[in-house]
Amino acid sequence: MKSSDEKLRNFQKILKKQGIGAFAVMDIASVNYLADYKFMGQSDAFLLVTPSQAWCFTKELYAITLRRAAPFFKCVNSLNPADIAAKVKEFKIKSAAFDPGLIDYISGNMFKAAGFKELPGIVAAAREIKLPSEIAKIRKACRISAKAYEIFRRKLKTGLTETAAARMLEDIMYSLGATGLAFPTVMAFGPNGANPHHANGERKLKAEDAVLMDYGCTYQGYCSDITRSFWHGKKPAKEFTKIYDIVKAAHDEVIKKAKPGMSGEELDAVARNYMEKAGGFAKYFIHTTGHGLGIEIHEAPRVGMKSKQILKTGMVFTDEPGLYFEGKLGVRYENTVLLTKRGAKILTVGE
Amino acid sequence: MSKLDNVKIAALKNILKKNKLNGYIITDFNDLKYFLGSAVAMPGEAVILFHSKGLYMAVRSLYEASFREQFPEIKTEGCDADRAEQIIKQANRLGLKNVAFDSSKEIYAAGKIFAGAGFKEAPGLITALRVSKTEYELKNMRAAAKIAYAAFEHIRKRLKAGVTEMELCAELERFMKHKGASALSFQSIVAFGAGTGNPHYMPGNVKLKKNMPVMFDFGCIYNDYCSDITRTVWYGDKPAPEFKKILKIVREAHDMVAARAKYGMSGAEIDAIARGHIEAAGYGKYFTHRTGHGIGLEPHERGDISQLNKEKIGLNYCFSVEPGIYLLGKFGVRWEDCFYMTESGIKIIN
Repeated sequence: MKSSDEKLRNFQKILKKQGIGAFAVMDIASVNYLADYKFMGQSDAFLLVTPSQAWCFTKELYAITLRRAAPFFKCVNSLNPADIAAKVKEFKIKSAAFDPGLIDYISGNMFKAAGFKELPGIVAAAREIKLPSEIAKIRKACRISAKAYEIFRRKLKTGLTETAAARMLEDIMYSLGATGLAFPTVMAFGPNGANPHHANGERKLKAEDAVLMDYGCTYQGYCSDITRSFWHGKKPAKEFTKIYDIVKAAHDEVIKKAKPGMSGEELDAVARNYMEKAGGFAKYFIHTTGHGLGIEIHEAPRVGMKSKQILKTGMVFTDEPGLYFEGKLGVRYENTVLLTKRGAKILTVGE
Repeated sequence: MSKLDNVKIAALKNILKKNKLNGYIITDFNDLKYFLGSAVAMPGEAVILFHSKGLYMAVRSLYEASFREQFPEIKTEGCDADRAEQIIKQANRLGLKNVAFDSSKEIYAAGKIFAGAGFKEAPGLITALRVSKTEYELKNMRAAAKIAYAAFEHIRKRLKAGVTEMELCAELERFMKHKGASALSFQSIVAFGAGTGNPHYMPGNVKLKKNMPVMFDFGCIYNDYCSDITRTVWYGDKPAPEFKKILKIVREAHDMVAARAKYGMSGAEIDAIARGHIEAAGYGKYFTHRTGHGIGLEPHERGDISQLNKEKIGLNYCFSVEPGIYLLGKFGVRWEDCFYMTESGIKIIN
């Protein structure tokens, strides 16, 4: 698989704009993001990125692959952080920096002694805005999971256990081209839906039953996240329909109101306020409205109470309000959305 | 029910005593998982202060209630910001004088605060504990290995012309998860043809054709513990003579390690068994990596079987044995199982 240098180039532009001479990338999630590669362990590789150059410090074993897969990196056969500082010195680079939240104390001390500055959150800021190639992969992962829902509904039969139903759903996603699961599927029947972190069990689906399923797949390393709640049978409980309508409407309200420039807490309040007005239900909405996603299932931004993060064009996050009544019933409705200039666009739709 | 293991607690107490410490801060996600017997919160959301009188935890308040219920013996407080400050406050309240943090794992920003409070650096105390596995850990590693071995038997039957590497990767993941794995140890490698000549190949949309070598390197996580196996096979009835030759050498090297690695040897000495055989066969320079790596909660842990590791491999250390020969551009062979050290030599984990 040939990597793309799109993310690295974008990051180099950010460095240039901020006047940073070089940045040491020391955590593997950031390394994998910028290199568009999948190193396994926490200390399999480090990067040193300047506005015009990039080095990858790794084992020769990886370098063999990397030279072909990511030719825009110069490989250095070393995993000693001191060699990164030495490179900065060798090239007389001014204002080098590192992220104090993404490096161990020993290495951070070494960089400080070498004159590096502390610069938190710069890779995270780049990562939260998705580039076109990333959006394409997320979109594909989203389509697969949305399409899987339609097929699953036609196949679901009374008597299946949660475990078996989850397996069926996952099989459908794989058959549609998923390359992995984004997280373990939550399949909750009946009152089990009231636990937002239910672990699937042997509970069988009744002829008339509530179903809540929260799942997602990966496509070429990028995640999707979707939740559907529905009534299996012909006679939905009145309470189910009532709650479902409120949750769905809260979700729709978020889609309608989301726009760039809002903060995470402002958008979260849209769902929460809607539920409160619908009959004082906000206290049953016990989690955040949404979270960002990309190469990881939970990324910035957080769409929740006390989140001051500003929502920007190109961010991908979930819209997932829910209401939970312990021991009785739970309903959640979730889509993955892309924020554009014109507002939120739902990505979890079938073709 | 609490999964706190008294053996681990006693061992850490002992280490603190030796280091003349009366408090140690644990923040690393996998160290916490090791210590508590299960995952807690998300990485960076929980900190433990292990001290001579007990355990204290500052955790994101979302998890506070369930954590208290799960671990009644740990004094737990919810804390959504400045967990380092909270830990320092607690250490002062307890009157602890010699507290240390793990400077090899603690993030710089927090380490600076701890150092500012006069805490000492004591890198890797839990890392050192983690290399030797308990019976409970071995049990889970066996379960993880069993799933991976079953997956290999399953996947080898699905080799047919036209199938892609990614399709087999997806099938491996699906199969292992349905057998109880919670996740993959790492992204699986399925390599066809020349891809096998690259020890860190990334699978793609290459299609399988008759008479091609195929390499599988994968593993799964069961109850937090990893497995890791590699198999290389020939698809078709006319294996290239050189493939047969290097497959034989690699398997011999692997089997020699299994038979000859003894308790008391260092990582380098065990590595030399495999390397010596491959060198004697004339392929030394094509064996481009270490013979193995430590494994446990993480797919790569301390305790390498490599030329650089002069440390003794102790009892119940778990590690991979995975010699390989790579003829770049042509093909390669790797064969891997995981083992643990006993008094009477190494035993396969399965």
